[in-house]
Amino acid sequence: MAAVLETQDLTYVYSPGSPFARTAVDHVNIAIEEGEFVGVIGHTGSGKSTLIQQLNGLLRPTSGKILLHGKDIWAEPKKIRAVRFQVGMVFQYPEYQLFEETVLKDIAFGPKNKGLSDEEAMEKAKEAAEFTGLKPSLWEKSPFELSGGEKRRVAIAGVIAMDPDVLVLDEPAAGLDPKGRDVLLAQIGSYHQHRKNTVLLVSHSMEDIARTADRVLVMNQGKAAMFDTTPNVFARSAELETMGLRVPQVTAIMTRLQAMGCPVPSGVLTLEQAIKELLPLVRKKEADENAQ
Amino acid sequence: MEFIKADNVRFAYEPAEGELPREVLHGVSLEIKKGEFVALLGHNGCGKSTMAKLFNGMLLPTEGKVTVDGMDTADEETIYEVRRRVGLVQQNPDNQLVASIVEEDVAFGPENLGIEPKEIRRRVDEALKAVDMYEYRENAPYKLSGGQKQRVAIAGIIAMEPDCIVLDEPTAMLDPRGRDEVMETIHKLNREKGITIILITHYMDEAVQAGRVIVMDEGNILTQGTPREVFSQVELLKQHHLDVPQATELAYRLRSYGCGIPDGILNEEECVGALFALIGKE
Repeated sequence: MAAVLETQDLTYVYSPGSPFARTAVDHVNIAIEEGEFVGVIGHTGSGKSTLIQQLNGLLRPTSGKILLHGKDIWAEPKKIRAVRFQVGMVFQYPEYQLFEETVLKDIAFGPKNKGLSDEEAMEKAKEAAEFTGLKPSLWEKSPFELSGGEKRRVAIAGVIAMDPDVLVLDEPAAGLDPKGRDVLLAQIGSYHQHRKNTVLLVSHSMEDIARTADRVLVMNQGKAAMFDTTPNVFARSAELETMGLRVPQVTAIMTRLQAMGCPVPSGVLTLEQAIKELLPLVRKKEADENAQ
Repeated sequence: MEFIKADNVRFAYEPAEGELPREVLHGVSLEIKKGEFVALLGHNGCGKSTMAKLFNGMLLPTEGKVTVDGMDTADEETIYEVRRRVGLVQQNPDNQLVASIVEEDVAFGPENLGIEPKEIRRRVDEALKAVDMYEYRENAPYKLSGGQKQRVAIAGIIAMEPDCIVLDEPTAMLDPRGRDEVMETIHKLNREKGITIILITHYMDEAVQAGRVIVMDEGNILTQGTPREVFSQVELLKQHHLDVPQATELAYRLRSYGCGIPDGILNEEECVGALFALIGKE
């Protein structure tokens, strides 16, 4: 598979050359494959936000490169705007960025900026609205009349409507309740499956990452501390803990059982997996006891 | 002895022009005792944040009555005393810090109460120590992490020497370490200073640490009790789209397959213990 996005010795220093110089991203080398779903975790200040802001050219690296489809995005700085359409970014609390008169107009703003005609932009907007589960009855309403969860979906639809090759979401479910979070994550998942494009999801919720990501990038002190498949990353709970991170509760339970000598595998990520592993063991024990 | 009492409280927000008022609380009655640690759960729009604002008179009931230590929150004579006694910490720490130096921010509340400077100094130092932020007293708030900011916001409330702190999703915007810091801080305040805590949260692992859990749904109380009593009603909570801790759900689902695992498991510890007893070693 080809890497859609690659970083080479990517480094970002805030206030370089001053006494306040601080290296936020430190020689990061990662390659994200086409069509992958990558989870990004790391505690506050670990450098994950600085990293993702460089991926679409919002911040220019101090040194090192970002390759999009193999091309250095800063080779021609005047064309950086095109990169922002290819790597779509949904920031935290994106609902504060809504501004248009109607939901559809707000969603169509990005595609229009990209150079599509009004009609094409509206088509894209409708498609994106459907993807994020916004009912047609809401389309002509003012975005400010909507609930918090609906506003969030409008903002995400606005980025999806630009048809980015890579969609980056920074804490998309923050502040939503469990139901709102489940619905939103399911929609992002189905968008990913349908469009087969690359998704980067930044989250503090290890449960959400465990459920959705193929691979997980762990940022710590500006470095890419781990970049591996989700089960492999969550099998290293002790290391994650030293970085201020955690594994999902169900993963922790299974890891502890394994350490106590129970024949269960490590890297169990979801309740469904845990039940699948545990049920046969319980049944076997019951059968053994009945046989005695 | 009850400290806060809500008696058949109804509440409707001021409707937009041409719209009918929409009632968000339909006659809620509850009592919070002095020194209790209560978690208030429910999904967005269930009325729990409205409830929080009623506890210190930021909102007043449309019908019914809320009293704090016997004082009616609708009584203008005592409203400032009510707000001093019941402090409110909100979700976003960036919206709550006002000064450019940590200790000045914490001093803002007591200064407004007209307390003399010496006493303010004492309270600020004590409040910052209580939340483990004393070393940062001369820092700029914007340079702190989310968990640290939230602890400064809590210190600002403590400096008013309240009897009760209401926290509205104080950890929603924090990373796991920040969440731990804030949770440890409020448990310590409850344990060591006897401050009554009302914690509004979406995180079930935070709710299981409370003395009592109240679950709200559609403007009513759905169920309440000890964490064990509440979280053993997995079916009811699921019906209302609420989560239960993964440990509780794992045990519950194994039970539904007929496994002999006890009811009402709340945390990792208990779940590991019960499972080990069930399957044992290889």
